[in-house]
Amino acid sequence: MLQVEAVHKSFGDFAAVYGASLTVEKGELVAVIGPNGAGKTTLFNLITGQLKPDKGKIVFKGEEISGLPAYQICKMGIGRSFQIVNIFPRLTVFENVQVAVLSHQRQSSNLFSPAQSLAVEETHRILESVGLSGQAGNIAGSLSHGDQKILEIAIALGNEPELLILDEPTAGMSPEETAATIQLIKQLAGPEQSRGAGAQGLTILFCEHDMDVVFDIAQSIMVMHHGQTLIQGKPEEVRMNTQVQEAYLGFDAAQPSGGEPDA
Amino acid sequence: MLGQSFSFAALASQFLVGLSRAMILFVVCAGLSFVLGVLRVPNVAHGALYMIGAFSAYSISTLLGSSPAGFWLTLILAPLVVALVSLIAERALFCHLYQREHLMLLLFTFALSLILGDLVKLVWGATYRSVLAPAFLRGSFPIFGSAFPRYNLFLLVIGPLVAIGLWLFVNKTKMGKISRAAAVDREMVGALGINVSWVFAAAFVIGCYLAGLGGALVAPTISITLGMDHNIIIEAFLIVTIGGLGNIWGALVGSLIFGVTQSLGVLFWPQFAIVFPYTAVVVVLLLRPTGLLRSVW
Amino acid sequence: MFKGVGNPSTTLRTRLVSHRWLWPAVGVFIILLILPPLAPRFYVYIFALIFVTALLAMSLNLTVGYGGLFQFHHSVFYGVGAYTLALMLTKTSLPMWVGFIAGPIMAAVVGLFIGWFCVRLSQLYFGMLQISLGSLIWAIVFRWYTFTGGDDGIHGIPRPPILSSSNRAYYFILFALVICLVAMYIIVKSPFGATLQAVRDNPQRCEAVGINVRRHQLMAIVIATFFAGVAGVLFVVLERSVFPSLLFWTLSLEIFIMCLLGGWFTFAGPMLGAAIIVALRTFVGKYTEYWTLVLGVILILLIFFLPEGVMGYFLRIGGSANRRIGESGKGAG
Repeated sequence: MLQVEAVHKSFGDFAAVYGASLTVEKGELVAVIGPNGAGKTTLFNLITGQLKPDKGKIVFKGEEISGLPAYQICKMGIGRSFQIVNIFPRLTVFENVQVAVLSHQRQSSNLFSPAQSLAVEETHRILESVGLSGQAGNIAGSLSHGDQKILEIAIALGNEPELLILDEPTAGMSPEETAATIQLIKQLAGPEQSRGAGAQGLTILFCEHDMDVVFDIAQSIMVMHHGQTLIQGKPEEVRMNTQVQEAYLGFDAAQPSGGEPDA
Repeated sequence: MLGQSFSFAALASQFLVGLSRAMILFVVCAGLSFVLGVLRVPNVAHGALYMIGAFSAYSISTLLGSSPAGFWLTLILAPLVVALVSLIAERALFCHLYQREHLMLLLFTFALSLILGDLVKLVWGATYRSVLAPAFLRGSFPIFGSAFPRYNLFLLVIGPLVAIGLWLFVNKTKMGKISRAAAVDREMVGALGINVSWVFAAAFVIGCYLAGLGGALVAPTISITLGMDHNIIIEAFLIVTIGGLGNIWGALVGSLIFGVTQSLGVLFWPQFAIVFPYTAVVVVLLLRPTGLLRSVW
Repeated sequence: MFKGVGNPSTTLRTRLVSHRWLWPAVGVFIILLILPPLAPRFYVYIFALIFVTALLAMSLNLTVGYGGLFQFHHSVFYGVGAYTLALMLTKTSLPMWVGFIAGPIMAAVVGLFIGWFCVRLSQLYFGMLQISLGSLIWAIVFRWYTFTGGDDGIHGIPRPPILSSSNRAYYFILFALVICLVAMYIIVKSPFGATLQAVRDNPQRCEAVGINVRRHQLMAIVIATFFAGVAGVLFVVLERSVFPSLLFWTLSLEIFIMCLLGGWFTFAGPMLGAAIIVALRTFVGKYTEYWTLVLGVILILLIFFLPEGVMGYFLRIGGSANRRIGESGKGAG
């Protein structure tokens, strides 16, 4: 569904992404991991259009999307949550998600109908699916950090994306919130049997620092280091790969004392 | 009118006139750019301060006479009056707003421009004033067959001097380097233990001093009236915008473009001379919306 | 505020009734309706002037308060609307009503043109570019003596026969204001308005949910400048003259002050600000010629003590726990 081919992005002299590649099949749950500064968020920004790649190609559902503006990429079916909470702080939780749903329904330029009667069911459905129904009337800025991150995901869902990209969805969360978020991600991806390449569930691409989370749910893992792709493969392959272990995994099944501490 | 061919002499002489005017514009806009660069706020009161500089020059020169000594003293004291006014405004009111969003700072400078404008009316009344240039700068001498005012030559000397002085200040003095750093990253400067509020105060006062200097310099060449603040501030804003926000060299480039196109415009289309510099501004902004030179931040 | 949300079957009538401001607003409207026969002519004139200025300030707030744009030279569009009508009435023999339609449309066209360049920039650059382009238009109007009357402006513009008396002009302006207010309210409450406020609060997030931010902002500008043009047309009906000062940057910033004074995160705030400023200007002007000084002092007091504006202040202290900052931008007064 999504193919990233050797993209490059530099900021001045600093090469944030240097020849990274990624493949995501429909229905898969793919994780991107790497130490801080490896270029994960930059890669996501390149995919969703916040940045234009200097070199390389990004193809989504057979069409090239590299360099397109962010709003166009979103309309093609990619939804995204941000690492640093990026919501509409002055609007209510309901209105936050409603904006996305209205956009998806092509109602953003509707001048005449009252907004509060549009997209109501869909918005409530999304809020229920992420567990924020009870807070629908609260101002988004007053939510706890964990709930704001969930709201992030809810907004991204407003566009009914085919590919959902989550940038560090559990960053800054307590263990209970993390567990709840994992549940949510699993739920969004669909039941076990509908996950995996060619399946019908939502395709999810995410990046994380929490290795337990990653190895728990990802079906394919891509490892980034210094802006490059080290490897992409199934979790067991990645776990066994020596390069990855050297880079940062911090544990090694075969050598109890080896590996560097987690960056 | 249009279509007439002009002698090289006429063109050259108008060009020089435009350059002289550009020098005054530069002095004023350098101040505006400097404040914009450090405080990130366009000082709407800059025009009113320029006007106060001109009126103060009138009063001081009336007191001291137009001997060479009186002239130089006026040129020194009038901008200082303006600097004092700006310091009072800054310490009493402006500095308390530095934590607020920039729009509030801009609105404050607008309020200040309203108040200072009426203060001038209060102090000096509504009649227009004029200042005589000192004897050694009166009159003109022939350049390119036209009479070129001596005072304009003086401006052509003063302008670059101010430019050099400013450059030395920003690049060679500690104060200048700190203000340049504050323009780019005020939190960092604060973290280094430097009192950012004082940096802003100094930058604001210096910028306003330059506005006053511009007013004092222009005083002998025009009739000093209420309303000169409104006209100069538009021109200054345009120049600073096309030069690159906060960039003092940009202010120089912008002033040159503005001054020269305006005086050449007078030659080609006297009634609409003003359209020439404005069109130049529009063209620049269409091609480089963020200004010709890089903005300071 | 959530009455009606989630309940698509709520009728328009019950939704309106649930807003607390509606009945006071109707009361004010009735008072304004019966004003002309009861009040001296001067007061009728002042009120009409307030209506025109209120419409202008409300139109600015569409871009500033709801859109978060640095619309620093809004009065240009007001002036364009006014001059268009003035020129059509004095220089052409087209039916008068053509001018009434042409004014706002011309203002919106100029708004589209200037806006198209401005939306590619952000914040301060947006504002400075608008001041630049707007000043160019002012300069042309100011200098083009033969066409626009230059410095003098145009005077003695004929009113359509139906509006011949100042009372009739008053009612015309009042009704035009009310119609425009209703239209603006509908727009603000529409999905367009909701999206506009989202764009104001977080343009990056909006891009990421598929909203073409630039196009949206440009639409807001065109709508706002259209209403500014309407205000300009109403000005001509009231004053029967136009002057270049209608396009001067000081008026632009004055309207800004009105929005700030009234409260730019509320719907009716700018109207209140306009009313206060016009009233003050008229009555202070009787005692002193230093109104500008007074205005500057008012602005400073506002900045220091009342940045949320009069309306915002009253909403805050008069409101219950229901009143929240986000809400005041959308549902209240």
